[in-house]
Amino acid sequence: MFNGFRGVLYREIHVFQKKAKKQIVASSLSPLLFLIAFGWGFGKEVTVNGLPYISFLIPGLITMSSLNQSYGISQELNITRFYFHVFDEFLIAPVSHIEIVLGEAFYGIFKATISILLIFLYSLLFGVDLMLHPVFFPAIFLHTFLFATLGITMAMIVRDHGSQATVNTFVITPMIFLCGTFFPVDKLPAVFKWIVHILPLTYSTKVIRASLTGGEIDYYYLSLIAGFAIVFFGTALWAIKRVEA
Amino acid sequence: MQLNNTILTVSNLVKNYGAKPAVSDLSLGIREGEFLGLLGPNGAGKTTTIKLLTGLTKPDGGDILYFGKSFFSHPKQAKELIGVVPQQSNLDRDLTAFENLNLHAILHNIPGKLRRGKIDEALDFAGLLEYGNKQVKTFSGGMKRRLVIVRSLLHDPKILFLDEPTVGLDPQIRRNLWDLVYRVNQVKKTAILLTTHYIEEAEKLCQRVKIINSGSIIADDTPAQLKKEVGSFVVEYLDQEERKERFFASKEEALAALKEIDGEAKVREATLEDVFIKLTGRRINV
Ligand SMILES: Nc1ncnc2c1ncn2[C@@H]1O[C@H](COP(=O)(O)OP(=O)(O)O)[C@@H](O)[C@H]1O
Ligand SMILES: [Mg+2]
Repeated sequence: MFNGFRGVLYREIHVFQKKAKKQIVASSLSPLLFLIAFGWGFGKEVTVNGLPYISFLIPGLITMSSLNQSYGISQELNITRFYFHVFDEFLIAPVSHIEIVLGEAFYGIFKATISILLIFLYSLLFGVDLMLHPVFFPAIFLHTFLFATLGITMAMIVRDHGSQATVNTFVITPMIFLCGTFFPVDKLPAVFKWIVHILPLTYSTKVIRASLTGGEIDYYYLSLIAGFAIVFFGTALWAIKRVEA
Repeated sequence: MQLNNTILTVSNLVKNYGAKPAVSDLSLGIREGEFLGLLGPNGAGKTTTIKLLTGLTKPDGGDILYFGKSFFSHPKQAKELIGVVPQQSNLDRDLTAFENLNLHAILHNIPGKLRRGKIDEALDFAGLLEYGNKQVKTFSGGMKRRLVIVRSLLHDPKILFLDEPTVGLDPQIRRNLWDLVYRVNQVKKTAILLTTHYIEEAEKLCQRVKIINSGSIIADDTPAQLKKEVGSFVVEYLDQEERKERFFASKEEALAALKEIDGEAKVREATLEDVFIKLTGRRINV
């Protein structure tokens, strides 16, 4: 049962293990730099929406890092697919596409979880008090699932490695900076405000920040995140069906 | 029980890339235990054919049946029966040989209890028993090829697709691999569809050879019969600096003809290359 799901995870986790140290060290650096520069740099006096800036920043770093890690599987899938043709081994096996998508998505979630734990660790080190509303768990699950499945979709529809980098430059990076991770979106000019409200990160950051800082949980936003997750799961399935080796 | 059931029936397969057909109107059948060769030059459509038969690409027309059932409506059932050795190695370089085999075993639902034994047996069959825990990126070309072959057999497929399995290997290692492939067919009774552009490979290994050119099958028989049809013996001679051939049914006739030719000339046995030249006017390997 679930042999496709188990197989994909087996492969990804074993490959991950071989370079885990390097990867974890590399991905732990950028949130740390953000914390030092903006958290310490601004000091305790700067507050945003009534929170010390560093408390505002930590949830943003959690969504940013976990997005980077879960969406980041697209890069790995690309290499797997175009350079090493390992992906063919999944396609040739008697497994359904759903299992391949779920296996890859859970690998993305697994990697995101490591980055989230790391930031929780940072927040302890920096003495930042976080609350933990139970909604955090479904919210972070949906958030990482939706970006992992978006990553799978991208990896399946791009023609080569280069187009993947273009998508990152023009979509992912701007999204990470504008969707309320580092500052509240209501500070944005109207046009940008309109743009960020079609992007899922805006909603997941809001819900996740509220769940960690004692804010009011917006369940409508939570359901929007769930909607995005379902849509991207669908596009990932659609994309993998039309993949030809 | 009926012996030699048909495993695979392919009819009128078509695949176009743009306006250009890579495979056109290709039909073939493979029975249990059979060793069939698909011989043709580069770009003839061999890899495309294998990709179509294993579901890696979709046809523009035609039908593929495994044990009488449509591949397209029962892909999972069919995929349990097939093993694939692609032209380009798709091993995981970062994983060990054992991990590569274990991954395949999981994907093919081989029960956990049987896996260890089957993997050891496979490593042994490939002569790689001591290399199980070595990363594949440390392997030579021949070792990788042997590993892919035994990996493709781990789930005991009824039919094995080998796409140019010896391309890029030294002659010595190529022979070594022929022996492995031959044993697979003889010992495990696995039916094999092997593609190649090496004449010798097709002649040595295959019971039946289909010659493919520009996406179409242009001849289909045993190697001996194919050669017999063009003439089993060849007189090769130079005619105004140009190499020419004449074909004869027997050695005696060929030797008689040899005597009549002035200048440099010799008698040799026909090869499948001669068959190809006779059919297309071109050589397979240019
Ligand atoms: N993905 C592809 N896109 C466009 N053309 C292709 C593709 N794959 C193969 N072809 C073309 O189809 C023909 C058959 O190719 P192929 O099946 O690889 O031949 P072989 O394996 O016999 O060398 C060639 O002309 C090749 O250029
Ligand atoms: Mg080929």
